Amino acid sequence: MKRLLFAFSVAAVLWSAACSGNGTVNPPPPVGKYSVASLNGQYAFATNGESFSGGVNATPLARVGSFTADGTGKILTGVEDVNAAGTTSLALPITGGSYTVNADGRGTLTLQLAQTSIDFGITLTSTNDGLMIDETSNANQSSTGSGNFTKQNAGSFQVSGISGPYVFDFPGLDGDQTFPCPCPESFVGRFDASNGTISSGFFDDNDNANFSSGPFTGTIAQDPLQVATLTSFGRGIALIAGQDYVFYIVDATRVRFISTNGGMLSGDAVAQNNTVPTNVSSINSSFVFIVAGSSGSGGITRIGRFTANGATVTNVLEDTNDNGKFIKTDTTTAASLSLDAANPGRGTFTFTDPNFPNAPSTFVFYLNSSTQGIIQEQTANNNGAVDVADGTLAAQTGGPFASSNITGTYAINWSGLSLQNGGGFSVQDEEDLVGQVTVSSLNLTGAADIFQFQSGVPVFDLVTSGSISIAGDGTSSTGSSSRNTMTVKLVKSNTTTVNFVVYFVNPQLAFFMNNQDPNRTVAGILQTQQ
Amino acid sequence: MISTKVIRSGIMALGIVLSVSSLAQSQQTSQPDVQQLRSYSMSREVFLLGTVVKFDSASVTLPMGAHVVLQTASGQVDVHLGNAKVLQAAHFTLNPGDSVRIAGEPLALGDSTYFAARIVQKGTQAVAVRNTKGFLTTPASLMTREQKEALRGVR
Repeated sequence: MKRLLFAFSVAAVLWSAACSGNGTVNPPPPVGKYSVASLNGQYAFATNGESFSGGVNATPLARVGSFTADGTGKILTGVEDVNAAGTTSLALPITGGSYTVNADGRGTLTLQLAQTSIDFGITLTSTNDGLMIDETSNANQSSTGSGNFTKQNAGSFQVSGISGPYVFDFPGLDGDQTFPCPCPESFVGRFDASNGTISSGFFDDNDNANFSSGPFTGTIAQDPLQVATLTSFGRGIALIAGQDYVFYIVDATRVRFISTNGGMLSGDAVAQNNTVPTNVSSINSSFVFIVAGSSGSGGITRIGRFTANGATVTNVLEDTNDNGKFIKTDTTTAASLSLDAANPGRGTFTFTDPNFPNAPSTFVFYLNSSTQGIIQEQTANNNGAVDVADGTLAAQTGGPFASSNITGTYAINWSGLSLQNGGGFSVQDEEDLVGQVTVSSLNLTGAADIFQFQSGVPVFDLVTSGSISIAGDGTSSTGSSSRNTMTVKLVKSNTTTVNFVVYFVNPQLAFFMNNQDPNRTVAGILQTQQ
Repeated sequence: MISTKVIRSGIMALGIVLSVSSLAQSQQTSQPDVQQLRSYSMSREVFLLGTVVKFDSASVTLPMGAHVVLQTASGQVDVHLGNAKVLQAAHFTLNPGDSVRIAGEPLALGDSTYFAARIVQKGTQAVAVRNTKGFLTTPASLMTREQKEALRGVR
């Protein structure tokens, strides 16, 4: 009884707090287990988005770096490398800063640079990692982008700390600086590293619809201009297939890269373990996949699932948002999967949508384990790639999915394009959201920040609610064409409702993309907080 | 402001592969095979010549982005111009009554098609809104060397 009264009293407080009376609605005070002490140590971060610094228009922007949080709300030190559409600013010292972490894991992060600062909205997924969006909006620049941060292990901060086989996915822009490029590029592959030497590398590249693949070599080294950054921040330089990069070691299993000589490629290399199947007959899993990139229409996202029993692929389901055009693929023919015996973990899967018989959907993948990998779309039509897109492949486990296991607190992030109105001139521009929701009985409640870049300023603390609808057992593995869906309602001074199709990887992770509203092309993840 | 010389010469290099009237007719009476239009091909590129009926930087017509409705000799054609910020960055405006020439081609969007512009030209000013592979250009494509160098100030 006492507990019930307490619950009622809390609810009453939340209600009054949620109604500020000035036309805007604020979320209730956050509840949860996190605090500033939850962010403590050295973290490698990466975001991908765009910036506006006056004088020129918004520019694609990628940043990778390292910051050290002291567990009390202060940033002690750090460094970052920035690539703006091929123009780099390297080894920028982070001289300080501050951060907050609310009980629900949401918070803010400000990194102080020499003459300015950059701001992020964050949501912890654990004390070791979290999701983030760039929320910088000051006199010097506005920048946005989605990304994440993950705790570093200083014990790996040496050239030999990058050792063994890795798979990588570096999307971005190519190095062609002549108009009308830079153009979209997806560069994926695998390599073996040992004491600063990269050997046995193999890549698949889609550079502005031009496919290429082949072996490569490279090097890993200290940055001769910033030698101390290796031992201090895990930062160094690499040469991969002739392209220069800066890297940040997270630990022996993950390294973050950003290109530094023309072009703007960035992403993670993840250690490949010995569970990677060597024979296609040993693959007996369902997989969820998601890719994002550019098509001739604009932004494109695809999300789907399939079941692989050896080379036989069944129950393929895919959803596409081609810059506002929604396409459902419910039935397929000629679906199959194969492995490349010469390159461990590399393979392809393909299927044909009867509606597009002349362009079989084709993907190359690199598994870093038996359950995870990266993929690059290689669908072509009339000898031309239909898009430049890549993403993630993950085994679907833990089903069936229902309200009993899709429950608890989740970090949420999405990124993409939406039509926005800034200065009276409506255009499509980047949209990034990060937040936290509690899922109970498949209903969502929480809060989020959103940065619709055309507006120039992020909007903080939107009241976030919604619901998830699960079709059947939630795996879509039974040949059913029905989908899991999610509705997210965002309320501040006005209300926005976004509808998504959702594919559960497991009860702790889901991929989603919007499946209604042609004015938006976004995709994102729901990830359990631990 | 980018030089339009390269773009103009690019347009000229295309040659007049189809007359405006035959193109407009193909738009209306003979829909191309959607199956063959999932990737951009310079070999299919044609010209549209017409008068602007309506320009919308954020049209409700798919795909998302800027669209212009042209009155051609054979009727009205809706043309996708991609990212309106590219036009804005090039100080390129379209108003009703403007005479424009557009190089582009039909592209598939699911089970339907739309006309995808690669180059839009008004008078002596031309802007490439797609590259030769059909992908949308971004404002970053329009930056001068000096503007790119200034990006070193981005943090």
